[in-house]
Amino acid sequence: MAVCVAVIAKENYPLYIRSVPTESELKFHYMVHTSLDVVDEKISAMGKALVDQRELYLGLLYPTEDYKVSVFPNQLCRYGYVTNSKVKFVMVVDSSNTALRDNEIRSMFRKLHNSYTDVMCNPFYNPGDRIQSRAFDSMVTSMMVQVC
Amino acid sequence: MSVPDYMQCAEDHQTLLVVVQPVGIVSEENFFRIYKRISSVSQVSVRDSQRVLYIRYRHHYPPENNEWGDFQTHRKVVGLVTITDCFSAKDWPQTFEKFHVQKELYGATLYDSRLFVFGLQGEIAEQPRTDVAFYPSYEDCGTVEKRIEDFIESLFIVLESKRLDRATDKSGDKIPLLCVPFEKKDFVGLDTDSRHYKKRCQGRMRKHVGDLCLQAGMLQDSLVHYHMSVELLRSVNDFLWLGAALEGLCSASVIYHYPAGTGGKAGARRFQGSSLPAEAANRHRPGAQEVLIDPGALTTNGINPDTSTEIGRAKNCLSPEDIIDKYKEAISYYSKYKNAGVIELEACVKAVRVLAIQKRSMEASEFLQNAVYINLRQLSEEEKIQRYSVLSELYELIGFHRKSAFFKRVAAMQCVAPSISEPGWRACYKLLLETLPGYSLSLDPQDFNKGTHRGWAAVQMRLLHELVYASRRMGNPALSVRHLSFLLQTMLDFLSDQEKKDVTQSLENYTSKCPGTMELIALPDGLPLPPVPFTKLPIVRRVKLLNLPASLRPQKMKSLLGQSVSTKSPFIYSPIVAHGRGEERSKKIDFQWVQGDVCEVQLMVYNPMPFELRVENMGLLTGGVEFESLPAALSLPAESGLYPVTLVGVPQTAGTITVHGYHTTVFGVFSDCLLDHLPGVKTSGCTVEVTPALPRLQASTSLPRSAHSLQPSSGDEVSTNVSVQLYNGETQHLVVKLENIGMEPLEKLEVTSKILTTKEKLYGDFLSWKLEETLAQFPLQPGKVATFTVSIKVKLDFSCQENLLQDLGDDGISVSGFPLCSPFRQVVRPRVDGKAVSAAESSRPGDPSHVKTLEAVLNFKYSGGPGLAEGYYRSLSLGLHVEVEPSLFFTRVSTLPATSTRQCHLLLDVFNSTEHELTVSARGSDELILHAGECQRMAIQVDKFNFESFPESPGEKGQFANAKQLEEERQEARGLEINSKLDIHWTIPSLKRTGEASVEGLLNQLVLEHLQLAPLLWDVLVDGQPCDREAAACHVGDPVRLEVRLTNRSPRSVGPFALSVVPFQDHQNGVHSYNLHHAVSFVGSGTFHLDAVQPSGQSACLGALLFLCTGDFFLHIRFHEDSSSKGLPPSWFCLPSVHVRALEARA
Repeated sequence: MAVCVAVIAKENYPLYIRSVPTESELKFHYMVHTSLDVVDEKISAMGKALVDQRELYLGLLYPTEDYKVSVFPNQLCRYGYVTNSKVKFVMVVDSSNTALRDNEIRSMFRKLHNSYTDVMCNPFYNPGDRIQSRAFDSMVTSMMVQVC
Repeated sequence: MSVPDYMQCAEDHQTLLVVVQPVGIVSEENFFRIYKRISSVSQVSVRDSQRVLYIRYRHHYPPENNEWGDFQTHRKVVGLVTITDCFSAKDWPQTFEKFHVQKELYGATLYDSRLFVFGLQGEIAEQPRTDVAFYPSYEDCGTVEKRIEDFIESLFIVLESKRLDRATDKSGDKIPLLCVPFEKKDFVGLDTDSRHYKKRCQGRMRKHVGDLCLQAGMLQDSLVHYHMSVELLRSVNDFLWLGAALEGLCSASVIYHYPAGTGGKAGARRFQGSSLPAEAANRHRPGAQEVLIDPGALTTNGINPDTSTEIGRAKNCLSPEDIIDKYKEAISYYSKYKNAGVIELEACVKAVRVLAIQKRSMEASEFLQNAVYINLRQLSEEEKIQRYSVLSELYELIGFHRKSAFFKRVAAMQCVAPSISEPGWRACYKLLLETLPGYSLSLDPQDFNKGTHRGWAAVQMRLLHELVYASRRMGNPALSVRHLSFLLQTMLDFLSDQEKKDVTQSLENYTSKCPGTMELIALPDGLPLPPVPFTKLPIVRRVKLLNLPASLRPQKMKSLLGQSVSTKSPFIYSPIVAHGRGEERSKKIDFQWVQGDVCEVQLMVYNPMPFELRVENMGLLTGGVEFESLPAALSLPAESGLYPVTLVGVPQTAGTITVHGYHTTVFGVFSDCLLDHLPGVKTSGCTVEVTPALPRLQASTSLPRSAHSLQPSSGDEVSTNVSVQLYNGETQHLVVKLENIGMEPLEKLEVTSKILTTKEKLYGDFLSWKLEETLAQFPLQPGKVATFTVSIKVKLDFSCQENLLQDLGDDGISVSGFPLCSPFRQVVRPRVDGKAVSAAESSRPGDPSHVKTLEAVLNFKYSGGPGLAEGYYRSLSLGLHVEVEPSLFFTRVSTLPATSTRQCHLLLDVFNSTEHELTVSARGSDELILHAGECQRMAIQVDKFNFESFPESPGEKGQFANAKQLEEERQEARGLEINSKLDIHWTIPSLKRTGEASVEGLLNQLVLEHLQLAPLLWDVLVDGQPCDREAAACHVGDPVRLEVRLTNRSPRSVGPFALSVVPFQDHQNGVHSYNLHHAVSFVGSGTFHLDAVQPSGQSACLGALLFLCTGDFFLHIRFHEDSSSKGLPPSWFCLPSVHVRALEARA
């Protein structure tokens, strides 16, 4: 169901992006890129809230409207998650077959966040570089395979 | 109704729609000139009231939209203005006919119409008509605005009458059912008397009245009507019209809350035109929060004709939050009807505009999303473009730049969709350019110089590719080259190897037709497109200005330098000044370039591409001085490491030159890369001084060049090295040809030499020359040659190395330590002359370990031309490498007293270390022939030397504090003196080489002492004749006068001395017989006494001998051992032995 997972840096450029139908990767790039508008909007809206009380999960960003434009067969929903350091996770989920519950998405994001934290803990990782960790990669793969 | 008007906004509900159209053939230019003037009259205050009418002009309006005019009155065309050309009266009826046809088109809804006729003059034009206006030309039509105002007033009268007419309909009367086109058939056969039907009619009519009130400028009335309509329609579930009523309510509230308008520019203008609504809004603002009027309080069947009691109260107005809720509700009702798609879409757009003003982006995006979903009928391509553009604009409005860019890009793609027969590449390109900010991409490469690229590379790259493609299809190759260069330059890190190849290939294809330049390209909309220098192809890591080669380096003459320093500051050194200067010229390099000479700048570059990179026309960009850059072409291997590239050029004038950067041509794109804009470039300064032109000297010599370079420690950089092999003691002439290969005359030349430190001790002048002969040929014009002769004389130590001595089975110490000092003639142990040398030893002379090396640098300082005037000179160094092979050795040196005390024999054991036969000659002695490896003794009779007589300048010597040094100095001087006396030469006949040999190095203290005249000169006179060597003759029986004379040359007084004369006979067999009482008798005392002698004094004592028989007698004069002679060296008491031959007594 997760067809695309992206990690986006604070400065809004991708640290990691992977999608399942690899041939239409660029479409996912556009999809994730446009979702950043909503992410930004949501972050600025909750900017005043206390940091520790903040909900990291942003919920549904967009249901699938653009893909009337660029014909996409499935129903794709985009969910967002933002860490305290303003690193964003965006997940594109294929919801045509199974309706996912919010909690499932939430736990997927939590997993992603944990894995991302592990990547950051690697002393050889340069913050701001593309994530090339194999562990992270396999975790993402598991998230994608798990449902597909 | 199928054509949505995406530009609609809530305020449009209060406008009257007027269509302005041309009839017949009217040029577009003229039409729009008039249209513009007409549409400037967009709001009109009605004379007798506070109300303001707003007019919306359209030059095109689909009649099917007009059919929805009952549903929302602002969709109804109420006025028609036609513009026409008519030049002759006979055309007039036809024209007028056309006007009527046009009127028919909107006939049902029109309140009034006007015809503007241009060009017609004459009687027809004279007739006063209300619906036709005549103007002689498009220039001369000053009353157009006035006419329009009148026209609008007439519209207002109709509107007002309609409003009043509808509003005052009695509740009991039959109210007609208003309906939208698609509803008509639904109501066929419906019971028109039912309460439900009546309510529906009432509700719809209320809504209609509300619309009219709104158009007529009665905002409060309209609010009341809308509220009532909502109530009525809600009760009968007439959803379409309920939605319309709600939307009307929203529109009225928006107009109330946001008098500045929601539609952008148009709204702003409206606001400027009338400040009244703004004031009203301010006045009523608090009221907006009040509780809405209870709709239930109104009678359900009765419409109160007079709502004036409500006027001035804002109670009916919706709060900003409610507006959105009501919009949502309205849209949800609309969405129930497929045929109302356009209405729904427009409502969404209007709501978004309101939300944009309220800055509620999230909700606005929801509305927009909904708008995207609304499926209209199959849209034409043009409509699709419009739709996407509008979506993009709306997203932009709510601050969703990325979304906006996405839709704009989709619109751009739509412009060139394959289904379109004539793709609009220009429009596509324009739209794509507008998406740039959304993808946070700037087309200025400078923005990418700051640190690493931070952006969504994948989408940016895609966009750039599209720009390239669009600009190419647009037929602007320069633009596509620029975009492609930009793509390559800024996205290099993100391109895969294959993409790099593809991009460069297509870039090369484009540039073959249109080379990339460094000029700004102005985009169609006036935006300048900055040039893209390829600073990453290749990447430059380091820029270093290179000094000239040592031989060409200009140097400042010392005296001038001193002056210049002293003028700058009175201090020799001041940290403050130095610091300040360091700041100021932090980039200035402390060497100079010379005008007219090739100067070099070294760049360390590397090629980031996965293939070979050909860089052509790479040269320097400089400033400050005229500089002729000599471009280079280079080819860098794929993904090379750092690669040094040297760029050269010739400064044409003197001054200060600054290297700003470099230019390249890569893939047909010219780039000027300025160093200031390059990130991560290391440079040690880019400013250097250029001195005036100087001549250039090239030296060539008679000797072969040497590959052997001097030790690096020598300090000087030597341009040419020559080498020569010489035997020790040989002299050779080196002819140096000096050629002026520069452009300036050579006027000045100085020559110095420097012998590099060597362990070998060198005797005599190694290098000597006469400069005068060369200087006579000056000034040396360019291209001329002067010669200069240097004589090289090698005179190394001729003494034997210790190991050689050992080889010869002896040690020098025993020889030199031999007590030759004895005043007696000693028998020297006989030596085996010409001792055969073993094979091993014979090979030794050629052994390279014996070859010694001497190195020297000849330094030519020269100057001329303008450089000389500025006080610069150049120096050319010539390295000289001399290999000295040993010629002969003096393995051993000793002295033998000669027969005369004033002379002595110097015995030299000469060893021929060459592989050739060698002859040795010394002054006054025969030639000695030595075979290779042979050693022979050579005896040279020399006069003893009076070293004390050498002048010694005490002042000079006084400088040497070290007594030992002083002593060495003295010894050297003595050696030189001895050597010049000896004048030993050698010749190798087979090689025809000759040379000198020197004993300077091997004279030790003892030998020197022996060679030295003792300070006490003793002379023995026999019969008044000085007796030395030769036997003095005397006759038996005659007394022989013996005089001993002492000359004191020592610096102190000596004596007194007592001498005793001991006669003896030498039997020549080693036996000396001293018992000669019978043969010799003394006349007087046998002991002589000498008084003390003052320095440089003389003293003598006399005695006599009587020989009693014939024979050869020797007299040994002995000193008596006493205190006075103590402390003086024994060699001082070296008296000649006297040989007296007693002959037969004279007859």
